[in-house]
Amino acid sequence: MTGVLNRDALLKWAPLIVLLLLMLFFTVLEPRFFSVRNFARIAISAAPALMVAVGVTFIILMGSIDLSMEGAVSVCAVVFAFVFLWLGGSLGGWGWLAMPLTLVVGAVMGLVNGAIHVRLRIPSFMASLALGFVGTGLAMLMTGGDRIRIEDETFRALLTTRWFNFPVMIYVAGLFLLLGWFIQSRTALGRNFYAVGGGEDLAHGSGLDVARVRIMGFMLAGVFYAVGALMAVARIGIAETATGTGFMFTSITSVVVGGTALWGGTGGVWNTLVGVLIVNVIGNGMVVIGLPGYVQDGVLGLLVIVAVVLSTDRSAVSVVK
Amino acid sequence: MSFIKDHIERATLDRRNFLFASAAGLGGLAAGGMFGPGMARAALTDPTIAWSYRNRTNPYWNEIVSGGEAFVQSLGMPADAMTHLINEGSSEKSLADVKALLAKTGGNLALAIDTNDAPNCRPVVEAVAAAGGYVSTIWNKTDDLHPRDFGDNYVSHMTWSDLKPAEETARILLEAMGGKGGVVHLGGIASNNPAIERLQGLRNALVDYPDVELLAAEPADWDTQKANQVMSAFLTRFGDEITGVHCANDTIAYGVLEALRAEGIEDMPIVSYDGNPQAVQLVAEKKILATVFTNPYWGGGISAALAYYAATGAFKPSEEPDEHREFYGPSILVTPEDAAEFKATYLDSAPDYDWTDFWGPTNGGITY
Repeated sequence: MTGVLNRDALLKWAPLIVLLLLMLFFTVLEPRFFSVRNFARIAISAAPALMVAVGVTFIILMGSIDLSMEGAVSVCAVVFAFVFLWLGGSLGGWGWLAMPLTLVVGAVMGLVNGAIHVRLRIPSFMASLALGFVGTGLAMLMTGGDRIRIEDETFRALLTTRWFNFPVMIYVAGLFLLLGWFIQSRTALGRNFYAVGGGEDLAHGSGLDVARVRIMGFMLAGVFYAVGALMAVARIGIAETATGTGFMFTSITSVVVGGTALWGGTGGVWNTLVGVLIVNVIGNGMVVIGLPGYVQDGVLGLLVIVAVVLSTDRSAVSVVK
Repeated sequence: MSFIKDHIERATLDRRNFLFASAAGLGGLAAGGMFGPGMARAALTDPTIAWSYRNRTNPYWNEIVSGGEAFVQSLGMPADAMTHLINEGSSEKSLADVKALLAKTGGNLALAIDTNDAPNCRPVVEAVAAAGGYVSTIWNKTDDLHPRDFGDNYVSHMTWSDLKPAEETARILLEAMGGKGGVVHLGGIASNNPAIERLQGLRNALVDYPDVELLAAEPADWDTQKANQVMSAFLTRFGDEITGVHCANDTIAYGVLEALRAEGIEDMPIVSYDGNPQAVQLVAEKKILATVFTNPYWGGGISAALAYYAATGAFKPSEEPDEHREFYGPSILVTPEDAAEFKATYLDSAPDYDWTDFWGPTNGGITY
């Protein structure tokens, strides 16, 4: 096939078309859906998930998978809350130091994750799943099951202060999305993710230190999980073991629905943005038009299958397991 | 596959032994008339105390287990003397863990357990009774299963009825709304019994307030972040029509409060349930108008205490009336007026409970 309707073009634009169709669908059924206020609400619910999904995008681009995000987000959220309160509990004082520290914690967790996967030669899904459980346990150990409230007005301004109808955290998320795009397309590391995902043997044969790229990828993902954790805390003002709950499903679904292939090598952060918006538009729209929650899960499940079917070039894959 | 065969053989044997034991128990009961009580198995000495529950990540179960530990400490033992059986939401694991512990202790066991789902309660209780251990259950039990049918070994069952308390909080909410406008309900996991009862409580109260419309009821899965998203979507769907929010529990209320804060809405009447410390604080600040405290700490401690003291023979369950074997746990309504006092009594420091006052704070026998 050639012209506008070839497979590549379809793959590239299908997620965006799905997003627009969904928005049209919900708007027709309930015009209130199509309002700036509602878009702000969707953006607020999407921001933390977007950060986590951008992180895992890099991993999926390499053809690996990272399932440690729930544990990583919980640990980062809890560490942030403890350090923030210990440093005075205000962004105005020394509390801001807790933010970079949280990013470091995320990076270290990613480093451990990547090192276990690469050095011990354990499949990434297993290594990261296990490390995710370790993270959840660690967060539990630190909090003893309690919630930690973050009441600092300056920090909560991420949610409560609005510029042009959207809270500050949306712009922060936008900046990190641009950073993700920059890393993906303008740095050697980003190009290497595609090289590893597109053909690891070839990349290795060309002299690329694949192990190093992988470990760097997991570290980078960890940093984005930490940003996601900060936003999750900013959104509800609570850090707890359950802060990470639900991020695994949402982020993996978003990446896949956005058109990044699970086999690696194609897709990127813009696909992820569209994917996260699709997932959150469905979540918001279903309630807005008054459909019960289980329909929502069913629709998402179907979308995942459709997305994987579309994004898999079956002529290039000999075995599916 | 021999382990499967072994397992089936053992299970069959267990069941046969249980039948023998029941027969012996019945005989004992008859004989007891002639020779006095105490014919059944002699009391245990120094039984292993165990709590079987979902996991500790959940604040509610954390409270339950903390109560269990407090009871163990009241016996002069360290908190970690209590054995934790964590089922992670799996009934199969729950039953398998109990059987393993029975094998390890030879039945010298005082067990407190939530069996994860109602059908799982019978096999658990049968296994414990067959091995001569003692068990107290909470929450999950089928209606046809009764402690009195197991002599002393099935010590007690405690559950909570949320219908009345949820109706009371709903009335407080509806009064605060001035008896008119629209209310939304954010519920728990749709199939959970407490979620069903708490929504029904709201519906019952609404009968007396014809000018209030129940705009929507949507599950928020007991989850703060889900509740946050559902509440935002409600705001899109109903906007200013919403004049009150009925939450199925405190964790949901936190998410609702933050969704409202994001929109700059500060004075929405909200009620919740569970009486978590932070919710009580919010009640004191009048950000939440009411919550209901079910005292899971006490529930966790007293369930372990009942099983333990029955096991050691300190009291004989079969001599207690029905309402001492199947009963409702405590529920205390917390409103802004009494929040400070409530916090001082129950939350600032865990009260020094008398773990031999088994039934004082309970709410009467279970009616079917």
